Order: sequence, then structure tokens, then C-alpha cells
Amino acid sequence: MQAVLQADVGHRGVVLDPRTKIFLLFTIALFVLGGAGGDLLDRYVACFCMLPFVLFLLAKKWKRACIYLVIYLAAYGSFVYFGPRTTGIANFLLLAVCGILSRFLPSIMLGQYLIETTTVSEFHAAMNRMHVTEKISIPLSVMFRFFPTVAEEFASINAAMRMRDIRFGGKNAAKMIEYRMIPLMVCSAKIGEELNAAALTRGLAGDVRRTDICEIGFHLQDLIFFVLGLIPYVVCVVGLFQ
Amino acid sequence: MKNDAKLKGKDLINIGIYAAIYCVIMTAIAMLGFIPIMMPLLCVLVPLLGGIPMMLFMTKVSKFGMVTIYSIIVGLFLWITGMGYWPFIFGIVFGFLADLIAKSGSYKSSRKTILSYAVFCLVVFGNFIPLFINAEKYFETRQSFGDEYITSLSSIMSHTWLAPVLCVATLVCGLIGGFIGRAVLKKHFEKAGIA
Amino acid sequence: MIQIQHVSFEYANAEKGALYDVSLEIRPGECVLLCGESGCGKTTITRLLNGLIPHFYEGNLSGSIRVNNLDVRNEELYTIARTVGSVFQNPRSQFFCLDTTSELAFGCENMGLPKDEILARIDQVTRAFHLKKMLGRNIFELSGGEKQRIACAGVSAVQPEVLVLDEPTSNLDVDAIEELKQILLYWKAQGKTIVIAEHRLYWLKEICDRVVYLDHGKVGFDLPMQEFVQFSTKRLQELGLRALMMEHDTFPEEESRSKEKIRLLDYRFCYAKSGHPALALSDLAVPAGSVIAVTGHNGAGKSTFLRCMCGLEKKFAGTTVLHGSKKQRRQMLKECYMVMQDVNHQLFCENVADEVALGMAQENKEQVEAVLQELDLTEFADRHPISLSGGQKQRVAIASALLANKSVLIFDEPTSGLDYRHMKQTAELFCGLQKKNCTTFIITHDPELIERCCTHVLHMEHGTLQEFYPLTAENEALFEKQFRFS
Repeated sequence: MQAVLQADVGHRGVVLDPRTKIFLLFTIALFVLGGAGGDLLDRYVACFCMLPFVLFLLAKKWKRACIYLVIYLAAYGSFVYFGPRTTGIANFLLLAVCGILSRFLPSIMLGQYLIETTTVSEFHAAMNRMHVTEKISIPLSVMFRFFPTVAEEFASINAAMRMRDIRFGGKNAAKMIEYRMIPLMVCSAKIGEELNAAALTRGLAGDVRRTDICEIGFHLQDLIFFVLGLIPYVVCVVGLFQ
Repeated sequence: MKNDAKLKGKDLINIGIYAAIYCVIMTAIAMLGFIPIMMPLLCVLVPLLGGIPMMLFMTKVSKFGMVTIYSIIVGLFLWITGMGYWPFIFGIVFGFLADLIAKSGSYKSSRKTILSYAVFCLVVFGNFIPLFINAEKYFETRQSFGDEYITSLSSIMSHTWLAPVLCVATLVCGLIGGFIGRAVLKKHFEKAGIA
Repeated sequence: MIQIQHVSFEYANAEKGALYDVSLEIRPGECVLLCGESGCGKTTITRLLNGLIPHFYEGNLSGSIRVNNLDVRNEELYTIARTVGSVFQNPRSQFFCLDTTSELAFGCENMGLPKDEILARIDQVTRAFHLKKMLGRNIFELSGGEKQRIACAGVSAVQPEVLVLDEPTSNLDVDAIEELKQILLYWKAQGKTIVIAEHRLYWLKEICDRVVYLDHGKVGFDLPMQEFVQFSTKRLQELGLRALMMEHDTFPEEESRSKEKIRLLDYRFCYAKSGHPALALSDLAVPAGSVIAVTGHNGAGKSTFLRCMCGLEKKFAGTTVLHGSKKQRRQMLKECYMVMQDVNHQLFCENVADEVALGMAQENKEQVEAVLQELDLTEFADRHPISLSGGQKQRVAIASALLANKSVLIFDEPTSGLDYRHMKQTAELFCGLQKKNCTTFIITHDPELIERCCTHVLHMEHGTLQEFYPLTAENEALFEKQFRFS
């Protein structure tokens, strides 16, 4: 949670425009998660799923890239290999686990990539360029700003609970959840109110169009990924006419 | 004080703050969902626990549009964290519906807000749409895997029974979650003076 | 510049902080200090100026407020924001962006200024506030003092005519306050009008021209600073104000002898991310049953040190010798209790009686009642803990620690933002703990608290021990050197 839209600006490798990332995310959701294109794209899907791997490499997140590759290949491999070779409950479990993993994982990982390599300002600038109304972009920026705070509060509450020796397995689970949620709500609501007041005294949500000093724009790498992202659409359209 | 119906900065920021709390809770629960078998449980747990922040949020709502935007934001969050664009679409549709319901109780009536929350919960259900849409087509293409594969997989994932069951479960848990939220509101937040 | 005429205000859902028929006129370029006890309405006045009342905090308002010819009651907040810049108390909640550069630009972006203009202004405040090294950093990595500097710079970039500060030093150490002072002097030189609500007064002697004392929502007195500085410490205390000068009672001649020692062995800790050591203490013995002030700059490792002692840091491998036996991390978790700066984190139950009994091995009604009695909490036994005032919450936390048989209590800046009366109460509470054989550690920047209740000072810098000394007459010079009031 701490890392949501808080990209490390120092060493981030190849930078893509947030809009490119959103386009890729949409595409992968459509074809991998949504299964659009059906059998036409069947054999390309696995290739397309390498996209998060490549992107993680370009963002210099080596470890994550490798973990993703291993898990995905394992899931997809066993799905293809063991699928027809097992029966009964083993088959059922295998398909449930690997099937869901291989469909959801690429999209979730691409989502991870988006939120880990974009800063809030970049995201806001991208929304601004796409003419998203402030009624959406302001709450969204606030939400991203507030994530680390909520996470911090959560950690503090956990620490407090450990000192009070309140742990799972004790009296009952409902109480455990209550003890976590109540202070979390109270603290977050209070900090939220302060944040709200502070943001308003600095003129947020005025009647003029906001400027964005953040630099975003399309470069060569964006073009390449755009073209890559277009391939499944093209295959589909061509397939329809055949 | 101008009390017009237009959404102001204060309202927009409140939406963001409470959406953040909701999303953190959702993500914390989703960590459990990484074991894929647990995934359907999200439909149960998220609505159950999410009622608490949502009911607190509702006390800050007085204008039409806030619940809609809230649910669009939650949908967008799910989308950019990779759950597909269905939660986003559901966010627009069911957020609007939830907003209408809550408005009919002028955002005060506890029955209406609970119902409104249950409808809003369908956004979470939107996560599972890709499992059902095209499911048969998706499995047909894998005929080579053998018949048993098709039957077993369809039996867990096809929309014949799981989709409506999950949908109803989400709604019911939304109602229960709403009640819990309301109860916690009375028990803690009102006494503590933050609602 | 500012005209407040016959303003009365009551918050919709709180009794404290109301104003009754307050009138105040402030000329351009003046710098005014608002002071008074907690809940006297000084924060309320700052909120009238920046428009948060009535546009954000709701309540019953009458009278008129004009700032630079704007009628605050009928203008939108974003219009007021161009004229009035605000700096708040809590560095955690007054940022909107996650990195420093965006934060500096935020106010200007909201005004829709052209990009080049914004960049020029950022450049200007960067030079004026010496922020070069801080640009492009993650806000959460900055210390409290640095955060407050960024906040001031961000406000300054908008170039408002009026600046309003609401308890800006609550979380700052002595040096950070000095930096803030320089910033205020810079604004003063630019001819800005400044209004500052504050508990700590000593650093404002050379800055403010005028002192307005508020007493239960009414103006008690309105004096030039030259007259105010003549007030004796005793008079200030009667008014419920903090000291203007460093004065303290004489320290005891000898250290009170305590046979038992708590030994801290091999206290070392690194944060996984940065990798550089945040804590390095090899062997330290502190007398059990003492009240120890843990001091040092913001970011010196004080919190890390005490979190390690509590057993909250999982990677911490040091040991503590307590009650004559070696204790590992998990065992320390049972012995220690930390009262956090935001006490709300550790209040879980529906009422005070349940709350304090939560950590008890077995419920014992009489014991609970005795402790509640002792800490003046009996009348609140049925209240929701979160609805109590800050000091009462602190006492609830202490009560729960005592009932759970904790022998080491730790407080994280317990008096930040407290007025004289409340600070004194807190100090008395700590003195009482000493008699209960608890060892108390207090992270603090507050010399007035230290001289009132602490027996020892543990001074840390850069994660290492600077000095550890008993607060006796002999060590007076050491203490004064560290906390000199200028």
C-alpha cells in the first residue's frame, strides 16, 4: 500500500506516459482477463502476458519481473500440461488455481506496474490531458495521497494492539476486527478532516483550470508499446473478416 | 453559508478520503484472496467490513453525486490495480443507482442508506464478471483438454449457478454489512463525536 | 488589513473554542501573536481569517470579517486562498502532494498560473528558504522541521498578503523552531501581515509586535510585545501561558539512589530500506523507577530506540536486563507500554471501564476502580474514550498500562501543543508514576516538562548516545546548554 503511485523518481529506467500504461491495462483486461477474441487470440495470449515482465525489466524492477515470470509460466504451464492429464478433484483444484492465476495475474501485475511507476502528479497530469473532470480527478488524487496515511495508521494500531497483547485466537474474531477498524476510522477521519481543511486553504477546487507543472508526453517507447498493444485488436478485426 | 446542490471542494476531498479507507480495507482483504480458492470470499468479506467506512462516509454526504463519484473512484481503483474494467462500469451504473436510493431517504434514513450500500457492493461483484462473460466460449476453445476439464471447470466458473449465487451473496452481505456499519456508527462514532 | 467586528461563533458540534463578541483590527505589516489556554478560541480566530469558518467548519456565526477588503463570509475559499496563506500544526496532514516539488507548486497550480511563472516562483522560494537539497524528495522521508519549512515555502509561493499560522511549532525541536523564526523574519521583511496562534512563546519575542490574549472566547488583553515581555513567569503561569524565559527550580543535589538498574545491551537497528544504522547503543544502564527524558533533534532515532525497547521492531535483536533477568523482544512486549503521540490509535473499546480492563490477565473490578480513582477517571467510566480530551485520553492509556502490569512506560511527545496548565498536570502525572515503581521514558522537546518531572536526561543524536546524566544541580549547565532559550 505504501508504494501506491509513489514512484521512486531517482532511478526508474524507461518511463512511459501514464496514458500508454492505461491503454495497455485496458487492452490486457479486455483480451486476457475478459477473454475477448476467443480462440482467435488463444495462442497470442501467452505472448501478450509477457508484457508485464518486459515492463518490469524496463523499470529496473528485476526481482519482481522474475517472480512474475516464474509464477505465470508455472501456472500457465501446468494449466496446459496437467489440465488434460489429471482427473477428479485434483483436476478441479488445478484448474481453479492455475486458471484463475493465469487469467488474473497479468492484469494485476500490469496494475502493479502502473501504480509503482507513476507519481500522483503524473497521473493527475494525464487525467488533465484526457479532460477528465475535476469531480473525478480531485477525489482520485486525494485517495492516492491518503493511502500512505491510512497504511501508517494501520501500522500504528497494530503496534498498539501488540502492546496490549490483543491477538487473534483470543476471545473472538469479530472483536478483533472491531478493535482494528474503530481506531482506524477515528484516526483517518480526523487526519482527513485536517487534510481537507489544509487543501482548501490552498485553493484546491477553484474556478480556474489547474495548471500542471509535471512533464508528461509521448516518446518513442510509448509509440512502440502502443503498436504492440494494437496487435490483438488488429488480429481480432482481421479475424472477423475472414 | 451557501448550501447549494453543487459539489464543492470539501465534498470532493471527503470522497477521496473515504474512498481511500475503503480501498485499503478492500486490499487488505484481497491479500487473503491471493489464494485463488478464497477469491469468491471477497464477495462476502468486503461488503461485510466495508459497511463501516461507508456508513461513516454517508454521514458526510448531503448532495447528489457524492455516492456516484465515490463508487466510480472505487471502480477506477480496482481497474488500475488490474481487476479489469468491469468494476469501473459497474461503479458508474450501481453508484448512480445507490445514489438515487440514498437520495430518496435524503441521505439520512438508515434503511435507505443500508439498501444503497448493498447496491453499491455490486461494484465488488464486478471483479468476477470476466470469469462469467465468455466463459463457455473460453472453455470451448480448450476442447483439446478433454471433456472432464470442460465439465469440471464449467461447473465452478460458468454462469449457470455461480454468478447469480455470488451476486445474491454480495447483495445479502452488503445488507448485513450495512447493518453492521450502522450499528458501529451508533456504538462508537456517534458517541465519540466524529459522525 | 484585517477587521474583525463583533464576531461571535459557536461550533456546531463542539463546545470548546467558541468566540463571544470579538473585535480586532490588524494593520498591514503587523505581526500579531494570539495566545491563551487551550480552547480559548485562538485557533477559531485563525479559521475566521482563512475562511475555514464558515466555509468548512460549521456553526453559528455573527459579525463581520474583512481581510484585505474581502468579505470572508461571502467569498469562496479558493478566492480567500490567494490573499491568506495558512500553515498548520500537524506536518502529517497539511500536505496534499507526496513529493516536495509538487507540494511547492500546489498552491500556484490551483490558481491556474502559467507554468513558467510557477517554475520561477518555485525557484525563488527554493533560494529564499534554502530548500535546494529537499527538492524532488518524498515528503514522508522528511523530518518534522523540514516538513514545516516546505509547508511555509509552498504557502509563500502563492504570495499571499496575509499569513496565518496555527501552532506551527507543536512538533518541532529547538533548532527547527529557530529555522521557522528565520522564515517569519523573512516574511516580515517583505511586509506581510502575520497572525500566529501559539503556545510556545519564547521564540516570538523578536517577531511579534502585538500580543492578543484570549480568555474563554473574549479578548483578555491586547498589548504591544514590549509590555508583554515584562510579564513575570508567575504572571504568565496564572494566565495559563508558557514561559518566555528559561527559568527552573533548583535541581536536587544528589541523584536519588536506586539499586535496580535496567541494562540495555547491544541496541542496534537498521532500517531495511536505507540500510544505514538508525540506532547503535552498545551498553547502557538506566536506574529503574526513574523518569527519563529522551531528547535529541527530530530524526535522531529516539522513536526507533524506544520502539526497539518495546519489542515492536521485529528485526531488532538486542536484549534488555530487567528485574534481574535477560529479556528478549517478545518478553519486552509484555513489560512495556508506549503511549503514542496520537492516543486515538490505542483506544479500542466502547467505554473507559472496558478500555482499561482490556489488557488484564483476569478481570478484577476493585483494582480497576482503584486505578480509575487514582487517575481521576471515575466520572468518565461510562464515556466513550475517544470523546475525552487529550489529557484524559492519556490518562486512560496510562490506566490501562498500569492494570496490565507494565513496568516500563514510554511517552511520545506527551506535551506537544499543551498549554501551561495541561503541561503541569501531565508533569505531575509522571511524578506520580515514579512512586508506582514504573520506569518512564519520555520523548520530548519541552524543557519545561523535563525540569518539572524528569530525573534523568538521555540525549541522542544520529542514533547514538550523546550523553546520559541525572538531572542534578551538578549537571545544570549541561541541561541549559541543550535547551537554552534565546
